[in-house]
Amino acid sequence: MELGDVEIVDGTPIIYIKELSAVACSDLHLGYEGVMAENGIFLPKANLRKIKEEIGKVVKEKKPERIIIDGDIKNEFSKVHVEEFNELYEFINFLRSSSIKEIILIKGNHDNFVDRLKNSLGIKIYKQEALLGKYFFFHGEELPGEKSKEAEWLIMGHMHPAITLYTSVGKKEKIKCFLYGSFSGKKILVLPAMNYFAEGVSVNLEDVSELSPIFSNFDISNMHALCISEGETLDFGTVGDLRKISKV
Amino acid sequence: MIQYAERFSKEESLGVLNPKIRKWFEKNFKELTPPQYYSFKLIRSGKNVLITAPTGSGKTFSAFIAILSELMDMADAGKLEEKVYCIYVSPLRALNNDIYKNLSKPLEEIYSEFNSNKKITVGIRTGDTDQKERQRQLRHPPNILVTTPESLAIVLNSAKFSESFKELKYIVIDELHELANNKRGVHLSLSIERLAELCGHDFIRIGLGATLYPLEEAARFLVGYNKDVERDCYIVDATWDKKMEFETICPVKDIINSSDEKIESSIYKIIDNIIKKNKTTLIFTNTRSGTERVVFNLMKKFKYSEEEIAAHHGSLSREIRLGVEEMLKKGELKCVVSSTSLELGIDIGYIDNVVQLGSPKSITRAIQRIGRSGHRFYDVARGEIIVVNRDDLVECSVMLSSVKKKLLDKFSTPKNALDVLAQHIVGMSLNRKWKVEDAYSLVRNAYPYHTLPKSDFIALLEYLSGSYVGLESRRVYGKIWYDEKDGTFGKRGKYTKIIYYLNLGTIPDEVAVDVYEGKKWIGSIEEEFLSRLKPGDIFVLGGRLYKFEYSRGMRCFVSRSESKYPTIPPWFSEQLPLSYELAIEIGKFREKFSKAVEKALPKKRSLALKGIKSNEVQEILDELPADKNAKSSILQYFVEQILFAKYVPNHKFVLIEITEDKKSDLNYVIFNALYGRRVNDALSRILAIILGEKYDEDIGVMVSDNGFVLFSEFKMSSRDIEEALETTFKTDITKLLKDNIRRTEMMKRKFRHCAARSFMVLRNYKGQKISVNKQQFNAQSLLTAAEEISPNFPILKETYREILEDVMDLPRAKEILKMIESKEISYKIINTPVPSPFSHLMLTFGEADIVMMKDRRKRIKELHKEVLKLISKG
Repeated sequence: MELGDVEIVDGTPIIYIKELSAVACSDLHLGYEGVMAENGIFLPKANLRKIKEEIGKVVKEKKPERIIIDGDIKNEFSKVHVEEFNELYEFINFLRSSSIKEIILIKGNHDNFVDRLKNSLGIKIYKQEALLGKYFFFHGEELPGEKSKEAEWLIMGHMHPAITLYTSVGKKEKIKCFLYGSFSGKKILVLPAMNYFAEGVSVNLEDVSELSPIFSNFDISNMHALCISEGETLDFGTVGDLRKISKV
Repeated sequence: MIQYAERFSKEESLGVLNPKIRKWFEKNFKELTPPQYYSFKLIRSGKNVLITAPTGSGKTFSAFIAILSELMDMADAGKLEEKVYCIYVSPLRALNNDIYKNLSKPLEEIYSEFNSNKKITVGIRTGDTDQKERQRQLRHPPNILVTTPESLAIVLNSAKFSESFKELKYIVIDELHELANNKRGVHLSLSIERLAELCGHDFIRIGLGATLYPLEEAARFLVGYNKDVERDCYIVDATWDKKMEFETICPVKDIINSSDEKIESSIYKIIDNIIKKNKTTLIFTNTRSGTERVVFNLMKKFKYSEEEIAAHHGSLSREIRLGVEEMLKKGELKCVVSSTSLELGIDIGYIDNVVQLGSPKSITRAIQRIGRSGHRFYDVARGEIIVVNRDDLVECSVMLSSVKKKLLDKFSTPKNALDVLAQHIVGMSLNRKWKVEDAYSLVRNAYPYHTLPKSDFIALLEYLSGSYVGLESRRVYGKIWYDEKDGTFGKRGKYTKIIYYLNLGTIPDEVAVDVYEGKKWIGSIEEEFLSRLKPGDIFVLGGRLYKFEYSRGMRCFVSRSESKYPTIPPWFSEQLPLSYELAIEIGKFREKFSKAVEKALPKKRSLALKGIKSNEVQEILDELPADKNAKSSILQYFVEQILFAKYVPNHKFVLIEITEDKKSDLNYVIFNALYGRRVNDALSRILAIILGEKYDEDIGVMVSDNGFVLFSEFKMSSRDIEEALETTFKTDITKLLKDNIRRTEMMKRKFRHCAARSFMVLRNYKGQKISVNKQQFNAQSLLTAAEEISPNFPILKETYREILEDVMDLPRAKEILKMIESKEISYKIINTPVPSPFSHLMLTFGEADIVMMKDRRKRIKELHKEVLKLISKG
């Protein structure tokens, strides 16, 4: 699905920006299962594998030179867990073996301590935000800074957007989505979580104003929910309309 | 071999007792109770025995007098050591305390009379037992250990304590009927086989239970197998030795048109009369909220005081419940109202009458409940079932007829439950290193696992050893090590023992879902209830009506509802499904009775509404244990159905109606298929999937015991229905259902329960309780991940099994479809302008509640009016 200069790679939570020769995605939460296991929940390992599969496919097709991770590459807040460390290295090595020459991380709330690994991982790290060409990437837990004024595009993560639909007979389906709209004259795109186990926040049902400071005085009703389905991306219309129909 | 026992003479029975025990017994009891005539000698000659008998039949003593005799013999011979000779297991902790007292009393009396030097000791060990007592038991093991299934499983892993089991002679399982049909019992069956292996010898197995059927299966559950040979067991069946009197009561003459006020006041008048006539009356209401309402109304209407009447149900605190039980034992209460909590177990003193409000849904349960009255064995048990709709009148009358005919519902044991087995494999590995062959053959000795495929056992070893994650993570994931080449396994991980102790058991965490209106917390509902809600459903919470909006994790969001009536009854998850056997009995009754009524119809058919003269009809009605109002209502019901629809559905004939509801603009296809909710759950889904795929539309489903309803915004034709039925004959319906279940809330919930039982999602880890909220993650992704490991991933397999076999009844649904294919069961599709009388209750099932059912009654009245308009014309 083309949104002007930005392309959503159909059926994935990944975007491709030709101008930057870059793919971008957000909220990987690597090491998730390991951290869960430490808490007594022994999930099968699927997150990294699924992420590699998805990114691998896109990278093969688009042959980008860089990848931008829009925050939360790993899961734990306070420390680097050994599982995270291993998965981080595996992921970076995986990227290195492809066309990708540059790995850019916008540091999110879960990414403390990544700085220490900067050199050994060989990645470029920005704190919370970065202006790349006309694209302003920010993780989303803080308001976009001054530099955003120079951008045409605001691209954020952090929120894990999804919509929940109930069928007429009461079956419940939760679908990950992008949110796309405009914000003070700029295009804004919220990336869904790349993490395989992430539940997602139902933007059509829940109050999201507290999820990110940017939403505290910005109504998302006019944003379009672009949902990730099998192999395709579908525009489900505006969040406002979805909110109306979900109230039976 | 499993065989029925023979009765011995009094002298034969008493002759086998130790002289001191005999003397005490004869001093305290004039007569042996029926089970004791069989059991004393059998147990003394070392036989496994299953004893089923009603409350008050001296069931426990029928086992313990014989056991105490043996121990007393040993004491007299100076051979009694500080070892456990008998383990008594009961699922109820309260019962454990009773037994402890009941054993201590005779022993003390005997000692004070005979002044023995060596005393038989009794110890109790449950979750409530404190550390000091546990330590004491370790130093001085009691001769008789009174415990619960869970505590027994823990003790098996206490190397020191289990040393004292080496001379074990008896194991007594009480309340077997509460165990044989669920995972808790399955868990216990494995513990017993592990115990036998640990002792290095077999012991005598004694099972005690109330009514259950088939007894042969219960006996097999009790004794299991020795390699491939079924162990011997004698069955003592004293179920029917207790006299019972009972009746179905319809509170008013005209059950359709009487006002709610009239029906309610009539119900309470009947109850009040019964209470006044008796010393103590026990009332069952089926639901907790109903319990409170009945107590409240009785106090208000008839000025009963709090000293005279009390409620007893699972939501009340333990102190309150114990207080009520104490008052009952002392005979201080006039009346106690219970949901289900007083159905079983503990001695509740003198009750002379039981009143059941609403159908108890199974023959066995009817016997158990009514059997709570008539305290002593030779007293007559008396019970009334009061119901207020015509399906329930038929159902309960047939139910009580079945009791008279000594027919019972079948129970069934969950087979090859992999989650429970996973726990025991971990437990076994903590004991020692195992050869796979030996462990597998031990497990197969337990009846619920006798048919376990080896491949499933291996799959569990692989899962538990963490083979589903990479090598580097097995340290954390693996609970055991498994050497495939060697064919051995054993324990792994420093936390495993603690995980085992803290997470053992089969009862899933009771989860309360918080309900919010906006940001305001307004209460909580059960998780199971939530999984049934769809947006727009209206339900009661704290006396107010709320509309369900959406849920997230363990939170549910609602808004205030303007509507007057709930669409989902609050007790939905408490409602028990009708047993299959009873459903078939009702079908047989329908067949017989409708034939008789048809024969007796007058020429001008509508005259039948005024009454029917027929000896055959009268005879059938006379046989029903029901009052006059009930009988006339039942007759009227059948007449209306015949006049309106020509057909009365029965067990061999499914009536399918295509009709519409003018009020909701929905089209209905109503399947009058009386097979019970579990079977209908499966059948209705299968058809809804097939039709839904055909039309590419979602088809709604309402399931009840008497049938199911498919509803849609468009009209389905009879040809479509026929084709859908034919499609089922050539479809792999297990696969079809699995694909459908995969995406449901029920699947997610059950998967989490199975994952918890298999130690995949721990409830308790490193000494910390893990909140259910934390256990929430994208369950759908987890399911997919599990499927990718293998479609036979044990936890996944078990989740499907539990849903298809325990929640639903797919095996029977398949049988029904097969019989439809072979035309053993016929069906007829008719178009009706309004739904036929027999489907009214099905359509309004969502609103069914005996004590609060105004909405439902109103709709039924309307439907009924339309039906009558149509048939009185013809």
